[in-house]
Amino acid sequence: MPAADRHSILAAPGLLLLVTFFVVPVGIVFDQGLFDPAFTTAHFERFLARGAYMAVFLNTLRVSVVVAMACLLIGYPVAYFIVRQPPRRRPVLMFLVLVPLWMSILVRTYAWMVVLGREGIVNGLLMTLGITDQPVKLLFTTGAVYVGMVQILLPIMIVTCYSAMTEIDQNLLRAARILGARSGQAFARVFLPLSLEGAVTGTLIVFILSMGFFITPALIGGRRDMMMANLISSQVSQTNWGFAAALAIILLLATVAVLVAARLLTRRLVYAAAKTDTP
Amino acid sequence: MKHFKGKALVLAAALAAAPLTLTAGHASADDVTITVAGSGGGLAKVMKMLFEDPFTKETGIGVKALATTDRASALKAMMAAGKPTWDVSELSATEYAIASANGWLEPINWSKLDPKNTLPAVARADDAVVVASYSTILAVRTDKLPAGKRMTSWADFWDVKTFPGPRALQNQPYDNLEFALIADGVAPADVYTVLSTKDGVDRAFRKLDEIKPHIVSWWTAGAQPVQMLSDGEAFYTSAWNGRITKLATEGTPAAIVWNGGGLKLSYSAIIKGTKHGDAAHAYLSYLTTSPQRAAAFAKMVPYPGFVKGLYDELPAEMGRHLPSHPDNAAKQFATDAKFWAANLSELKERWEAWLLE
Repeated sequence: MPAADRHSILAAPGLLLLVTFFVVPVGIVFDQGLFDPAFTTAHFERFLARGAYMAVFLNTLRVSVVVAMACLLIGYPVAYFIVRQPPRRRPVLMFLVLVPLWMSILVRTYAWMVVLGREGIVNGLLMTLGITDQPVKLLFTTGAVYVGMVQILLPIMIVTCYSAMTEIDQNLLRAARILGARSGQAFARVFLPLSLEGAVTGTLIVFILSMGFFITPALIGGRRDMMMANLISSQVSQTNWGFAAALAIILLLATVAVLVAARLLTRRLVYAAAKTDTP
Repeated sequence: MKHFKGKALVLAAALAAAPLTLTAGHASADDVTITVAGSGGGLAKVMKMLFEDPFTKETGIGVKALATTDRASALKAMMAAGKPTWDVSELSATEYAIASANGWLEPINWSKLDPKNTLPAVARADDAVVVASYSTILAVRTDKLPAGKRMTSWADFWDVKTFPGPRALQNQPYDNLEFALIADGVAPADVYTVLSTKDGVDRAFRKLDEIKPHIVSWWTAGAQPVQMLSDGEAFYTSAWNGRITKLATEGTPAAIVWNGGGLKLSYSAIIKGTKHGDAAHAYLSYLTTSPQRAAAFAKMVPYPGFVKGLYDELPAEMGRHLPSHPDNAAKQFATDAKFWAANLSELKERWEAWLLE
């Protein structure tokens, strides 16, 4: 016990930082959203009464779900591919995955403008090949937002899946094959259940980050691609802090709710997957 | 609860003011330093060279310039904490309107600030002085115009048959409601009379309905329309004048249509509760009342002030591209900051709903 006490001191600086710069500000946000100066639900009623705000909220949810799912579908196979490579090649491939993370989101978003624009690379190619004679509208669309966000968040998904997959003993797959499983069966009944936890964690991280996205939808999206973060920023600069705080609380609670629901669901999935393994 | 709220606000104010407490230092009576909230960046360098350093040399009063954004929020936090840490602040038109309506500014003593009467009425408010002006104007990619045609008004911008091609506007109700009414035939001088009625606002939104499908992007940052014009992403867009002048000098065939532009004033004001009122007045006087210094500033930054004699100090060719030049000012409307401070919240809400329709 005394040893554990001594070790808990190591967590103190981190804890202090967390309380000062996270717990206290979140407390202030709740205070601002709910007290003005007496307790009031007016800010939340304003959110519910206006269809436009609800539309922004639903759009934020939809974009986050689509981006998280797209990252899972693209990122999981990539991570699987890398983990099946010879050990010497893996760090090189992971390095390549991580390179885009060193560039700011703003720069990468501007790069997408160059790629998707009217006089951009894609349209240039389409027009040279004679597929279209007028530039196709790619930029300033919801599709552009998806492409941009998936590209930005994909490395995070791959890294999370990869680190979960490296924990899996590859001999288990070999054992499954020796015992007569076809390679598809070995993957589905051994590898997939063991890597599910990592895949879910990655999907949730991407989802959480998407919920707060701001720059990319504003720069390459169309007029309907407004996110909660854009709305909050606009309310803060109008000094409507109470309403901005209420929007932040709604965003936070929705994110936490999805997180909890996803965790409960996975626990059941992992349990079910494990169960099929027992005779 | 009350206790917690007070603490929370003090903390918020402390966070907002954190960068300055590190630099403000201590000023005694014979060693006065005023803290000026500015914009930072390239503008801060110009301000230091043309105004702050010479002012300190001449008067012995130090100037601590801070790079700040969203000054209305910062002032709100400071006032709640009861400890303003700024003596003088630059304010955008909207920030000024908010700060003025909330009583966060000291009244200006005009006989002290401008004893020689060099500033016209437009540059004098009760609690602030106009230091600069810029315009939201119609910017045109001249090489994308149909052969032999010139775009000269917001009515032309709305005329997608004569002038086909992608367009952009700012994602804000201000400027756009005015532009829509002007395109619909309202005289620039009557714009705010019309907008102050519900019918007028409805009329502006109806006119905006017409152009909405042709707007490819609703920009949020001043760099975007410049980028879109230079990439050919938009042929016609609203934009801030200085950036288009720069784009054109860099070789992009872009031109400004002053007709129907929204002239905006930006202010400097003395913050309520300052201990250095006299020094602040002296600084604002130095900043705004010399045509020579104003001309030197306008040569570097195309956002001129209003001091009398400014355009005599500037080459005619340069003056022609500035928003407060008499020829250009006459074609524009002056954005009514007080109207927008009073109505922004409500109109922004309607605007956001309208965009999502």
